[in-house]
Amino acid sequence: MQTYNAPLRDMRFVLHELHGAAPLPGQEEFTQELADTILEEAAKFCTEVLLPLNAPGDVEGCHYENGVVRTPAGFKDAYKGFTESGWGALNAAQKYGGQGAPETVAKLVEEMICSTNLSFGLYPGLTHGASLALESHGSDELKDFYLPKMVSGEWSGTMCLTEPHCGTDLGLLRTKAVPQGDGSYRISGAKIFISAGEHDLTENIIHLVLARLPDAPAGVKGISLFLVPKFLPDADGRPGVRNGVSCAAIEHKMGLKASATCQLNFDDATGWIVGAPHRGMQAMFVMMNSERLSVGTQGLGIGETAYQSAVAYAKDRLQGRSLSGVKYPDKAADPLIVHPDIRRMLLTMRANNEGCRALCVWVAQAMDRAALAADPVERAEAEEFVALLTPVVKALFTDLGFESANLAIQTYGGHGYIRDHGVEQLARDSRIAMIYEGTNGVQALDLVGRKLPANMGRSLRRFFHPVSEFIEANSNHPLLGKMVQGYARGFGALQLATAFIAEKGLSDPEEAGAAATDYLRLFGLVALGFMWVRAAVLAVEKLGGTEDEFYGAKIGTARFFMERILPQAGALLFTIKAGKASLMDMEEAAF
Amino acid sequence: MGEIRKAAVIGAGTMGAAIAAQFANAGVPVFLLDIVPAGAKTRNALAEGAIAKMLKTDPAPFMSKGAARLVTPGNIEDDLGKLADVDWIVEAIVERLDIKQDLYRKIETVRKPGCAVSSNTSTIPLAKLVEGLGAGFARDFVITHFFNPPRYMRLLELVSGAGTDAGLAADVERFADVRLGKTIVRTKDSPGFIANRLGVYWLMLGVIEAIDAGLDIEDADAVMSKPLGIPKTGVFGLIDLVGLDLMPHINASLGATLPAGDAFHAANRDVPLIKKMIADGYIGRKGKGGFYRRGEKGREAIDLASGEYRAVRKANLPEAELKLGKLLGLDSKAARYAWRVLGQTLSYAASLVGDAADDIGAIDAAMRLGYNWRWGPFELIDLIGAEALAAKLAKDGFAVPAFLAAAKGKKFYRLQGGAREYLGADGAYHALTRAEGVLLLEDVKRAGKPVLKNSSASVWDVGDGVLCFEYTSKSNSLDAQNLELLNQTIDLVPKAHRALVIYNEGQNFSAGANLGLALFAANIAAWGEIEKLVAAGHTIYKKLKYAPFPTVAAPFGMALGGGCEILLHSSAVQAHAEAYIGLVECGVGLVPAWGGCSEMLARWAAHPKMPHGPMPAASKVFEIVSTATVSKSAAEAKEYLFLRADDGISMNRDRLLADAKARALSLVEGYVPPVPPTYKLPGVSGAVSMGIAADDFRRKGVATTYDMVVAGELAGVLSGGDADIIDEVTEARILELERAAFIRLIKNPGTLARIETMLTTGKPLRN
Repeated sequence: MQTYNAPLRDMRFVLHELHGAAPLPGQEEFTQELADTILEEAAKFCTEVLLPLNAPGDVEGCHYENGVVRTPAGFKDAYKGFTESGWGALNAAQKYGGQGAPETVAKLVEEMICSTNLSFGLYPGLTHGASLALESHGSDELKDFYLPKMVSGEWSGTMCLTEPHCGTDLGLLRTKAVPQGDGSYRISGAKIFISAGEHDLTENIIHLVLARLPDAPAGVKGISLFLVPKFLPDADGRPGVRNGVSCAAIEHKMGLKASATCQLNFDDATGWIVGAPHRGMQAMFVMMNSERLSVGTQGLGIGETAYQSAVAYAKDRLQGRSLSGVKYPDKAADPLIVHPDIRRMLLTMRANNEGCRALCVWVAQAMDRAALAADPVERAEAEEFVALLTPVVKALFTDLGFESANLAIQTYGGHGYIRDHGVEQLARDSRIAMIYEGTNGVQALDLVGRKLPANMGRSLRRFFHPVSEFIEANSNHPLLGKMVQGYARGFGALQLATAFIAEKGLSDPEEAGAAATDYLRLFGLVALGFMWVRAAVLAVEKLGGTEDEFYGAKIGTARFFMERILPQAGALLFTIKAGKASLMDMEEAAF
Repeated sequence: MGEIRKAAVIGAGTMGAAIAAQFANAGVPVFLLDIVPAGAKTRNALAEGAIAKMLKTDPAPFMSKGAARLVTPGNIEDDLGKLADVDWIVEAIVERLDIKQDLYRKIETVRKPGCAVSSNTSTIPLAKLVEGLGAGFARDFVITHFFNPPRYMRLLELVSGAGTDAGLAADVERFADVRLGKTIVRTKDSPGFIANRLGVYWLMLGVIEAIDAGLDIEDADAVMSKPLGIPKTGVFGLIDLVGLDLMPHINASLGATLPAGDAFHAANRDVPLIKKMIADGYIGRKGKGGFYRRGEKGREAIDLASGEYRAVRKANLPEAELKLGKLLGLDSKAARYAWRVLGQTLSYAASLVGDAADDIGAIDAAMRLGYNWRWGPFELIDLIGAEALAAKLAKDGFAVPAFLAAAKGKKFYRLQGGAREYLGADGAYHALTRAEGVLLLEDVKRAGKPVLKNSSASVWDVGDGVLCFEYTSKSNSLDAQNLELLNQTIDLVPKAHRALVIYNEGQNFSAGANLGLALFAANIAAWGEIEKLVAAGHTIYKKLKYAPFPTVAAPFGMALGGGCEILLHSSAVQAHAEAYIGLVECGVGLVPAWGGCSEMLARWAAHPKMPHGPMPAASKVFEIVSTATVSKSAAEAKEYLFLRADDGISMNRDRLLADAKARALSLVEGYVPPVPPTYKLPGVSGAVSMGIAADDFRRKGVATTYDMVVAGELAGVLSGGDADIIDEVTEARILELERAAFIRLIKNPGTLARIETMLTTGKPLRN
């Protein structure tokens, strides 16, 4: 059984205590009480509606017949409930019928959706991403016409990038767009791996398609973005004539079986340009950055369910005796949770999950600041922070989410490997998150190749300075001084690794490439460590009240993270400093 | 002729006036004479006007205000008699033989025997100039061809005729070398000498080949610069700089005087576009623009085919990033262009051996110094390979001069036992000799191994017990590594050596600490590292100052920030005349923190003309440092006390090391390290009054908001922090104040923004 109770207490801790701040202009109505209500309602919907559909949806999968895709039983009703309750419109612009909730709250809601039914979550998730791209780059006409229906969830959205011969390298893209003289374009080409490309949840699907204009320069600088509806709406906005886009097949995948991953053919389909000609990548990146943070949240969501399921099993399953002597003499054996190695796995999952949740909300808060802060300097600095942390969140969270699913299976033993308990589904479902929206390798390259050197490394300040200030202020903490000093060593490893890459990578990009993945992990661990050390300092102050169990566990988990996870920073630093030689010296023929 | 105590320049045009200024820069009184203009109110109007104009010219022809006072204006009617007293007369008048000879005849009536007469002609052969003027005149006559601007361009072409007295020519050469600071290239009396003949040929080819190939000028300039080691102005940018209007004159003159078979004639094609541009007033940067111009919406470039201007395109040529060998192996439009221009130019250069000059060294030096090429033509040929070049030339139907063909399988320059040799016209190798008394680190390095070395510095034995400390970091920036090597060097010198010289042969002495590293360290909050570096600089500079042996620093070009502070801590300085020295830290939102404040305070407090009391010296240093003042010459650096009154100045860059070494050796006997100074400083009230002065600048709009923050920190250091007027403040205390102020500032976003802007745009941010 997949076990899930929304971690509302921890969410409130992260939202109000750890990252609590005065509301931003335009978000005054989202008080602490309202935020808590939203989270409680979302928890209810997710556990009552989405979670029961998760395992059956995996078994049934999507159905394809003659170009038509049917989602598994119950999905249509669930989607109806989802849109009627307004969940799809939660953090959409109020101008288009959205509620304009803070990103912080929205990301926590997303986490719960991902915990309970990742396949389902992809449908509204893609709609939200497509809406963002349209909102930031589309013409007023397109926005006024399409956005209200996408925000309400009546229509869904997709992003059509990948083609059979090009995934990561979009410069190779071939789909064509020919202007028609009336402002519209005819789009032709084949797209693959299109999530929610075709389904039965909405009456219309709005595709955002990357294609080349006839006069386009080669490479990524010659790509434009187009809006292509499945049905061309009539003047009243009702779905009318079927457009020239069809679903040729759906993919048979390792996981996420209830999410339709489609091959789409565009055959002289009518579309409209979004943004300027040849500037499609810019528009797409708006969506991609937001999507990357959401994909990170998917890792976190799965990780949480993995942890909770494993804890339930570890407390329930009787097997062997404690190494320090029998703990439950009345039972045939002690429960798994008495064993150090089981605890290692459980605490690893928990420490990573809670750390990621705190980091997720920190970044989400910066997204809100970047959009709404009154001071332009604050907006710019928040923007830099988000840009720097986006690849870290995407890759780290999805790596750790899969790791948690894997640890959950291990906790279950053979019962994790068989289908009945549903934890193997978590591993299969979470695996794709390390790949799509830019593989985790690409995220690492983005971090070392783009984010580090941008503006002479200015973005780094947004992370390194608050950390340094915190360490300076707390390294003599009466209770946690040692923990802070231990954390400072991990931070020191990150500083050294950053300096190493800046120096080496400048003269030899391959050196940066060789260090990238380990560096991203190091950065991620130090970022999680920062969340933990801050959480611990905060929790210590709250001890002695009515919630000692919660705060005590916080401090205990922080200690676990510092003592048993963060030390990996040292090993990562050694690995990074070893350089590219052992990777690149081997002759290609020797492989 | 012997010693030159007084000189005269006749012709107060741009060149003549600036040549006079260079005599004055050398400390030689000089008359500047011209004709009496018709209708002028004052008879010396031309010379006076030229001097007045030079005082406003930037870059300045004069190195100091004192130098300007050494130029006496006059006119050739009233002041001809004054020439009787001078030792060298330079003629720099209009390029007409009859007018020049008229003047020479007048000079002959007054000049003393043995007074050198030289012409700055660039087109008229010496044989023609002296024709009919008698053997006595010819004996004392040479051509000295200066390049514009004479203060800054190091090349001087020297031509002596068949009748010229060898001793006199040698005296002129020695003076021009040692006192005027020029590198003398001896050329034959052939049209255009070397630099103009070869250079103009190259420029003309550059223009016509671009037109023929249909290449945009941005692309032409991009490919014609970096891979070839040529300044980024390329061909079209350079023509704009020298002036399009000069081209037809030089072309006509060369066309008329070069023999019929000369390759120049083929390149000397009529270019209607250039004619039209000149007619329309597009004569280059001195006019309203040339091939490039400033349009309303930014820079514009001319289209060679249509003659219309359009927005400048950023040349995005992969070819421009290639090494020379790779580029020439490529078959693309731009690569073909580069090859056709360079191949023919190198071929022409090879044909000039024996015609314009006796040896390849002269031709290479002329192109390096006259056009700022990184490599001369024969050094370029060595990069390509003489045989490969000859084959490629022959394949494309270009001439292969006999001298080039004969070099098959050989290098034009080779190393023999650590010394450089060159291939002579006789087919044999000859030692490449430097002028007497010249010592170059380049030669020392070729001949031996460093005494110490790390990634950012090296130490060389330059003989007679003197070590030379050389920065080798990028742009000679200061970092932890070269500080550490300096530390080791200070320990090493007393063991087996007598003195230390700090010197290098980069573009600049040192523009200071590596700001990129500092910014990066600040970005990742590596405050500990930054503090360590500041402390290391303090410790090691003080160790240098109080070391038991003399140190002579030898700056040239820029010596800024930490690069200035090391001068302040040396026993003496021997500076190149073109040394631009200053404490510029405030410009990037910092304060001098390697003892710059403490040394400047001590110097100004000890200055005999300073009024007594703690305030005047502190205020003076505040004024100099808060405005990031940089001297525009070594002479001017003395006015700010960046240099001491008795610090030496070398006019010739190539003699700097030898002069510095001699100075160091002169200090060895009985050397006593300085005694640490103590200070009387005004304390808080002083800081307040400096703040008021700075605020006045802010109200006038000269200083910015953040300037106030930086000035406040500087004032705190210079006033001695919380010092009391009656206290004696120690050097160590001021260093402590420097360090604390520096650390506070580098943590400030205002400073980080300044550093970032400086590094990304090269311009100061006025936040």
